[in-house]
Parts: sequence; structure tokens; C-alpha cells
Amino acid sequence: MGVLMEVRGLRLYYSTRKGVVKAVDNVSFQLMEGETLAVVGESGCGKSSMAKAIIRLLPRNVHTYDGSIIFEGRDIMKLDEETFRREVRWRKISMVFQGAMNSLNPVLKVGFQVGEPLMIYDGLSKEEAIARARKMLRMVGIHEAFADRYPFELSGGMKQRAVIAMALITNPRLVILDEPTSALDVITQANIMNMLKRVRDEYGLSYIFITHDIALSSELADKVAVMYAGQIVEVADAEIFYREPSHPYAQKLMASVPTLRTDKKLEFIPGAPPSLLEPPPGCRFHPRCPYAMDICRREEPPVIDLGGGHKVKCWLYAKR
Amino acid sequence: MAEPLLRVENLCKWFEVRRGLFSKPLYLKAVDNVSFELMRGEAVSLVGESGSGKTTLGRTILRLLEPTKGRIIFDGKDITHLRPKELMWYRREASLVQQDPYGALPSFMNIYRILEEPLLIHKVGDREERRERIFKALEEVRLTPVEDFAFKYPHMLSGGQLQRVAIARALILRPKLVIADEPVSMLDASVRIEILTLMRELQEKRRISFIYITHDLSTTRYFSEWIYIMYAGHLMEIAPTKELISNPQHPYTQALLAAIPDPDPENRKRFRKVPPGEPPSLINPPPGCRFHPRCPYAMDICRREEPPMIDLGGGHRVKCWLYAKR
Ligand SMILES: Nc1ncnc2c1ncn2[C@@H]1O[C@H](COP(=O)(O)OP(=O)(O)OP(=O)(O)O)[C@@H](O)[C@H]1O
Ligand SMILES: Nc1ncnc2c1ncn2[C@@H]1O[C@H](COP(=O)(O)OP(=O)(O)OP(=O)(O)O)[C@@H](O)[C@H]1O
Ligand code: SF4
Ligand SMILES: [Mg+2]
Ligand SMILES: [Mg+2]
Repeated sequence: MGVLMEVRGLRLYYSTRKGVVKAVDNVSFQLMEGETLAVVGESGCGKSSMAKAIIRLLPRNVHTYDGSIIFEGRDIMKLDEETFRREVRWRKISMVFQGAMNSLNPVLKVGFQVGEPLMIYDGLSKEEAIARARKMLRMVGIHEAFADRYPFELSGGMKQRAVIAMALITNPRLVILDEPTSALDVITQANIMNMLKRVRDEYGLSYIFITHDIALSSELADKVAVMYAGQIVEVADAEIFYREPSHPYAQKLMASVPTLRTDKKLEFIPGAPPSLLEPPPGCRFHPRCPYAMDICRREEPPVIDLGGGHKVKCWLYAKR
Repeated sequence: MAEPLLRVENLCKWFEVRRGLFSKPLYLKAVDNVSFELMRGEAVSLVGESGSGKTTLGRTILRLLEPTKGRIIFDGKDITHLRPKELMWYRREASLVQQDPYGALPSFMNIYRILEEPLLIHKVGDREERRERIFKALEEVRLTPVEDFAFKYPHMLSGGQLQRVAIARALILRPKLVIADEPVSMLDASVRIEILTLMRELQEKRRISFIYITHDLSTTRYFSEWIYIMYAGHLMEIAPTKELISNPQHPYTQALLAAIPDPDPENRKRFRKVPPGEPPSLINPPPGCRFHPRCPYAMDICRREEPPMIDLGGGHRVKCWLYAKR
């Protein structure tokens, strides 16, 4: 299994009237071919921003956007917009946007919308694109007759499947799923997770699965990245992460996850996540960390390699 | 046996959705034939998918919606059709915490005024007593230092802090019954646990009867004695929390439980056994058992006749033909 994508030092800052929001701040990770990375973290920690930085769909108020993203061997950050659009976006990397099912165009038929990326990125005719859309709808579990219907005729679960079909239709290598089921009921959610697993097995593609729901993240994750205040504080294999995460924030987060089948003592993290305008100095988690030491308040912790791809950004693991 | 605080008998709430000049009115049966009893000091989780009627049931019990049929007995009194004037005392004894912490509190009032309002409406205490009560309420929901929080406005608070204010407001008249409608669904995971823990603590301390409306089954284990499962306007299963989770009997409850993951790296390798499809329309619900079109065990009778609520003992009840002795 080769490396599909390597992200190094990715930054995305926004300009606002109040100052610079460091939404993605020096993020690095590696994704293997066919592997799924789950990205978890509290609301506002920068998950969607990171996704948009990867697929390069940015708002107007970008302050800083840099770093490198080596995808199938080349640095796609260096490509000009035209090349990126032609060769990367949707061809190689596609995305299901947070809340996308509510932004389907109400006056266009579902089949047309699902097929649209083929017209835009592959230059297919409308007929060819809609024919392919029908197949893709079937793949995601919607009867192809719905290609001729309008979005309002679909249930929430079906709309979500349709936007997933739209992301799959160009046969990309990586699909970024930003909260793909968070507005749906649990049974519908489980059905869609089953579908995503089937698609993964069939096409051998990779997902970046963004969610704030830790239990749900384990439905797809081979590897988990925990984000806190714009930074990745831990990356670990699923086997390690769900049993014994290392970063104090990740530990606290896991302790707050209610489990249905086992009893445990639920904990919560006192305090609130910091402002991304002026994050705390040193480790950004130090004001809420039960283990914070002097150095944590002063100096930003390095990313420490615990071996086997397990990385943690915390002074507790530094050898000094 | 002790008297329950709340008894709901065959309660229905139907919404009229169309009335032509000549056609018969059409009803959306959001709550249909629901019966249960709630004891003093007990917490119940009312669980169901979106549109199953949880909010409607909660609001009907609180008489914020007019019941269509059935009876609501609260503290021995029939309140089903009390007129607004007679309802004043009930408003004091039964209160609501709403889902959306951002929309539930008036933005033009500071926290002190928000908490004082119910006291003024119900003419509780003089100025000094009210002040004492408000400060104590803020302390109880741990919005400290209280002097700081009392004079803030809602937009200055986080979602979790707003929900604490909403809880303080719901408790300030010392009600016997509190219905919390998805009180934490808009909050982050850790804040959810923080708020639920706080609510549970206050509920136990004051022996409040509590209905926690949620679609998140995994939190119910930690915060309630009972679970009620609702589907398409019907209560499908009622059982003590642990019993329901470890020994679900209704095919719908079984599906719901099977759909919910616990964090486990094995999950990515397996597929979940859940029924396809989505809940039915409530305007024209399926005849017989409302779950029958999705049920793997559906029999002939399920398609024809509505199943009765069957008592399995130990407080465990299930509305399913599989358990009927015939
Ligand atoms: N265009 C923008 N301009 C300024 N700030 C922004 C912009 N977009 C996002 N932000 C801010 O950047 C931070 C990260 O936002 P982002 O949407 O990436 O978070 P998230 O982790 O996806 O949150 P959620 O779980 O709520 O979706 C937040 O503080 C957000 O308010
Ligand atoms: N005022 C109303 N008029 C007509 N129909 C209504 C009204 N209020 C609710 N309904 C319908 O009644 C059904 C039950 O709605 P309700 O809000 O009680 O469900 P719920 O279980 O609380 O759902 P959710 O989990 O989405 O909050 C739905 O089909 C809804 O559309
Ligand atoms: S009554 Fe019949 S259809 Fe309904 S849940 Fe039971 S077995 Fe299934
Ligand atoms: Mg987001
Ligand atoms: Mg509701």
C-alpha cells in the first residue's frame, strides 16, 4: 500500500475585523491508499477549514494559505487554479460538504445534479452524464427512477445519498466526507455507513471522514486525527486510538463518549475551547489540561513520534 | 402502591392538515393512543426518530398543545381540558427546557430578568426574596460568580451556558415535572455530558419527575431509570433502562440499538443489521402495526390489526404481536 497523500505544514488563516483566525495551523499527516482517516474534534476546531484547504475551495477572506500537499507524488499546492481544477478537484479529490443535502438546487432534477461534475470536469454531454448518474444512484442505494425527480421528493436520507453519489461520480481516489450523516436519524445513518463501507471496498478509495461523533468515527476510521484549536494533537491507528489515546485532550474526549453497551464513568472537559484569534501560548490545551506543566504554558509542544505512525503533540511524551 | 405523579391515558394529538369545503378533514396523527405512568422523582428518556412525535407528546402533556383525545392526570387532578386560567398552577408545577439554547431565551433581557419573569408572573416573593432565589438558582447551575452572570445578556454566553440558564429558568418555580426536549443535541459532546450530569444531579436532589426527550439512546443509560421508545406516534416499548438496552423486545427497538455504534475499531470491518426504509407518513400511516413495512418478522396480523401493549412483567411492556398469547 503506497502513500496517497501527505500533508505538511498546512495553514489556513482567515482575516476578520477582530483579527486573524488561525483555523488550520501547521497541520501535517499522511494518508495511505485505500485508507480512511477520521478527523474528530469539537465544533469550531477547524475540521471543515482543513477539508476546504485540501480541496482548495476557500472563502474570500483568506489571510494565509500555505504548506504542501503531496498527492500521488506531486505537490498539488503548487498547481495553478486552472490545472488544479482540471486535474485534481473532483477528478482525484472530491468532497461531500457539511449540510450539502440542504443545498441541492430545488429546481434541477436529481439525476442532472448528480451528473453535473461529469459535465464540468470530464466534458461529458448531458445525456451521458445523466446515464452515469443513474448508475451511481443505484450504487448508493437510490432507485434510478429518482434521477428524474426533484430534491423535495427525496427523504433526508436519500438526499444525503444523492450528494454522496455526486462526490463519487468522477471516480476520485479520495473523498472528503464532512459530517455526512449528522442531521440524520440513527437507522438512516447506519444504512449510509453500510453503503460507504460497500463503496470503499468496491472502489478501494480513501475517505477523510470528518465528524464530531467519536463513536460514529469508528465506523470507518483506519486512523484517527484529533483536532484542537486548529491543530492536530494526535494521529493514531484505530486500534490504538479507541482503546488508549495518548494526548490528554484525546483521553478526555474519549472519556466523554457515552457507551450503550458498557458502563463507565462519564467525564467532561471543564472550560471551553480557546479563541482561534488569540490561542493560548505554549500548548493550546494547557488551560484545560489536568497534567499541564510549566513548559506547557510557555512553549508549543513538538509533534512526538511514538512509532508505527502514532504521533502526539504533547510535552508529556518528550524526552528531555 | 404510590400514586404516580403523571398518568397519561390513550392520549392523542392529531393535527388537522387539510379541510376542503366538501372533503372530510385529514389528520396527521402525531401522537396516537399513548398511555404511561410517571412516578415521583423518576427520570424517563423518551427516545425516537425525527418526526416520531416526541415534541408533540411533551408539549401536549404540558398543555402547550390541546389534546385531541385521551386524559392527562397530574398529581391526581384531571388537567386534560383545563382552561387557561385554571392552568396557572399547572404551569408552576410543570415546565419545559427547549432544544435550541440560542432561540429559547429572549435576547433583550439579561439573565436576571429572564429568571425573574416566571417569579413575577406567579407572584412569588418580594424583591429581596426573588433576588435570593435567582442567585441561588444561578449557583445551582454553576454559573458563577453569579454577580457576573446575572447581568449578562444571552448573546454573551456559550451554548452550554445558555442551556444552564434555561435549566435554571425551568427549575426556578420548583416544579414537580420537567420535560427537557433535546436539551443538549446542539452542544458539543463534552458539554452535553456536563449539562446532562448537572440536570440529573438537580433532578435527583429535588426529586423531580423528569422526561428527557432525545434521539440519542447512548446517553439514556446514564441519565434515566426508564426508556420509552416511540415510533410514528406510538409508544412501542417501555422498560427500565438497563433492561431495555440489554433485552430489547420490540423489533424496532432492536433495530435502533443495532444502529448505534460504541467506539470500537472493529466497527469499520462489519456491516450493521438495520432495516432499510424510513418511518411512514403520519397522515396515512400503515394499518396494523406502524412498523410492519420495515419489520423482518411481520406476520399477517401485523398488517391488519394494531398490536396491543403487552405486559412482560417487571415494568417491561411492548406493543408487538410477537408477544401476544393467542
Ligand atoms: N470564512 C471565515 N472567516 C472567518 N472565520 C471563519 C471562516 N470560516 C470559519 N471560520 C472560523 O474558523 C474556525 C474553524 O471553523 P470550521 O468551520 O473549520 O470548524 P469545524 O471544526 O468544521 O466546526 P463544526 O464542527 O462546527 O463544523 C471557527 O472559529 C470559525 O468560526
Ligand atoms: N403544528 C403542527 N401542525 C402539523 N403537523 C405538525 C405540527 N407539529 C408537528 N407536526 C408533525 O407531527 C409529527 C411529529 O412531530 P414532532 O415534532 O412531535 O416529532 P419529534 O419526534 O419531536 O421530531 P424531532 O426529533 O425531529 O424533533 C411530524 O410529522 C410533524 O411534521
Ligand atoms: S407487531 Fe409485527 S410488524 Fe410490528 S414489530 Fe411486532 S412483529 Fe414487527
Ligand atoms: Mg465543520
Ligand atoms: Mg422534537
